Amino acid sequence: MSFYIHKTTCISPQQTFGDNIDIEQLRPSVDNKLYAVEPAYPQFKGNALRRMSKSTRIGSGAALPLLAGAPQPDGIIIGTQVSGMEENSKFLNQIIEYNEDMLTPGSFVQGTPNTISSQIALISNNKNYNITHVHRGLAFENAVIDVAMLVNESPQNTYLLGGVDEISLNNYTLDTLAGWFKKEDCSNNNLYSSATDGSLSGEGAAMFIVSGDKQGALAQLKAITTIHSTDAEVVENRIKTFLQNNLPEGEKIDLLLSGENGDRRSTHFYKNCEALQGSYTTIARFKHLCGEYPTASSFALWLACNFIGGALELPHHMLKKAGTAIGLKNILIYNTHKIGQHSCMLLSVVS
Amino acid sequence: MGVISAIGLSVAENHAALVTGKTGIIKGGGNFPSRYAGLLPFGEVLIGTEELKTRLGVTESGITRTTLLALHAFKEAIGDAQLTDEQLTAGDTALIGATTVGGMCLTDELYANTHGDTENIEYVKSFDYASVNLYLQKRYHITGVVNTMNTACSSSANAIMYGCRLIKNGLANRVIVGGADSLAKFTVNGFNALRILSDEACAPFDQNRKGLNLGEGAAFLVLEKEADVKGKKMYACLSGYGNANDAYHPSSLSPEGDGPYLAMKNALSNAKLNPADIDFINAHGTGTENNDEVESRAMLSLFGTLPNFASTKGFTGHTLGAASAIEAVYSILNIDKQELYPNLNFGQPIADTGLEPVITYKASAIKHVMSNSFGFGGNCTSLIFSKA
Amino acid sequence: MEITDLKEKLKVQIIQFLNLTDLTPADIKDDEPLFGDGLGLDSIDSLELIVLLKREYGINIQDPKEGRKVLIDINTMAAYIQQHAQK
Repeated sequence: MSFYIHKTTCISPQQTFGDNIDIEQLRPSVDNKLYAVEPAYPQFKGNALRRMSKSTRIGSGAALPLLAGAPQPDGIIIGTQVSGMEENSKFLNQIIEYNEDMLTPGSFVQGTPNTISSQIALISNNKNYNITHVHRGLAFENAVIDVAMLVNESPQNTYLLGGVDEISLNNYTLDTLAGWFKKEDCSNNNLYSSATDGSLSGEGAAMFIVSGDKQGALAQLKAITTIHSTDAEVVENRIKTFLQNNLPEGEKIDLLLSGENGDRRSTHFYKNCEALQGSYTTIARFKHLCGEYPTASSFALWLACNFIGGALELPHHMLKKAGTAIGLKNILIYNTHKIGQHSCMLLSVVS
Repeated sequence: MGVISAIGLSVAENHAALVTGKTGIIKGGGNFPSRYAGLLPFGEVLIGTEELKTRLGVTESGITRTTLLALHAFKEAIGDAQLTDEQLTAGDTALIGATTVGGMCLTDELYANTHGDTENIEYVKSFDYASVNLYLQKRYHITGVVNTMNTACSSSANAIMYGCRLIKNGLANRVIVGGADSLAKFTVNGFNALRILSDEACAPFDQNRKGLNLGEGAAFLVLEKEADVKGKKMYACLSGYGNANDAYHPSSLSPEGDGPYLAMKNALSNAKLNPADIDFINAHGTGTENNDEVESRAMLSLFGTLPNFASTKGFTGHTLGAASAIEAVYSILNIDKQELYPNLNFGQPIADTGLEPVITYKASAIKHVMSNSFGFGGNCTSLIFSKA
Repeated sequence: MEITDLKEKLKVQIIQFLNLTDLTPADIKDDEPLFGDGLGLDSIDSLELIVLLKREYGINIQDPKEGRKVLIDINTMAAYIQQHAQK
């Protein structure tokens, strides 16, 4: 099952949105965090902006330019771990601080994760299929599977697909306590030389207009698989099977976008995936651009669409190993989140 | 099927309460630790969290009440469907769950951890929604598609729909679908801040309704292809589903109910049925001023003359992310037992719409049941179950 | 407190509480409707304002419909606060 990607936008910690996209110049992390560069939001009229969580802001902000002047998409499908966690935390904190007495409902309403998809629907008056997947490190992947099924069911339809998560004080603190973010100072330009546990915290919103129509498409999402395992051998075998089943006879992976994130506990998964490719494949990394967050694979998919469509060149700081591949026909995105959740996406040129 | 709710710990116990009209909503006397415990009525599962752990043999740390309720219903469902270990771990078995509370039921623990407590960190890995299904997936070694959905109060209807579509699209051959939510300070205070909790037992579709009662519970259903269930009990067929957005307001429905209307209409066309084919509607019917009036209007504009309808929220309270899954079980019982259960606490019809739900238990010939779920953010989903 | 001072203070509190970042107190007229065509606040804001009255002035409004009568504009809010404030 596959679909075609026609348009894409991204608000991320790098200069990825608007007219002056520049990923050559790496923007630095601040206190182990990579915060999204937020644009002005001319689309949000009057009261729309003031109660929005950051997730809703960057999610709707990235989505609305894709919808402007185009027919309504037949569905809005979003993946996010918790969406407005900061709003959620404000509400949770109020419960304790005011001892459950007379609380303000605004942050409760804005904190529910389906706010992103429903705000996009509200602003664009879209009454079609509307859904939010929240399965942590596979939230975006499940959104992709959902869209692949929708396109299979109705190939003539168009859908808005997105992955969004935000850094909030609460989830940063909790994930740091759980060991997922580095405790010592680390900068994104030497993330991969770190030999400790944890990564840098990141956030972002990537949006895609997809359909079953290949006419004018940027790229084809050819296949996706999700893997739940902490066993490196199981994961490696699944990746191998994925490539065997989905790469056309005689073709190889030209570019591997690896989700390597500087956490020494997950490095071997990425090494195994690299080892499957051989000297032909160019290997590049993206987490020093966007940081680690549950839907970071959506940022990688945005990059892959831009590389394969020729809109962007692979910057040197992303390169881990130059392969002998000359063209760019097939890109494999491999990512693992919190070690147990893995995914592979195969993006190919439109043939 | 498996279900746990305020009216029982199994499908059989839930069924017995539905037949006898025995509510699970109580005011005071439960275990829920909130200042509202004695002030507002709740549909509580009257087993403490530690007791649930013991009964279920859960010894790992960091397991939340939401997860325990889910596990309870999940175990009953896979037992009822006679799924083998080989089937559970096969790559063509999917697990799709839904929750709106997830690990956010740990308000106090999370507050401590985000305000300086770095010692007691048992729950720091469980704060999100996915933690519930990740536990089930690990415990049962599920390798197929695993997902968690959260579209507020329609979450588990969407989980059921997604699961069914996985089978139709060839991405799974059997799916375990459902939802779970525990009573939580998070949701109780949220709904209270919106002033939509009633201080009396909820009275869906009644002119003088005062709001909803929150409840807790979980339900899971096993969906398989007809060809694969030879020799096993087949309760019903999921014949249609529809999902639409109301696109009106973050926390209330549009006056004319565009979202609910479209969800029901899409479900009918997906099932290739006409309005007149529906024998019974399990309404969303939360008991709030907004929902019941709008749902009534949307049903009237779609159906003209309504079939029998009722809300079961008067039994269980509104169980949020579990509601659609629990009500899917009840809708299937309507079909399997050929009977209807009463809409509790109804006295007087809403003046504008004049609709009267079923108020007594009765036997009835039922072929197609529609089950409605509408949530915050305008997320509306309707499912249609049919006699197999 | 003088009513004019109270109105000024109230405007500052409303802007802060509802995160009306693009407004200054001078932008809010005393008789400008808070809801609908005036400031454009909605039903969730009205619940937020009831909480503001409780936290800042100790005023308990139990029934949101009662709140609607008080939360018409700055004039009606200030007058109600003068009559009912507990702190």
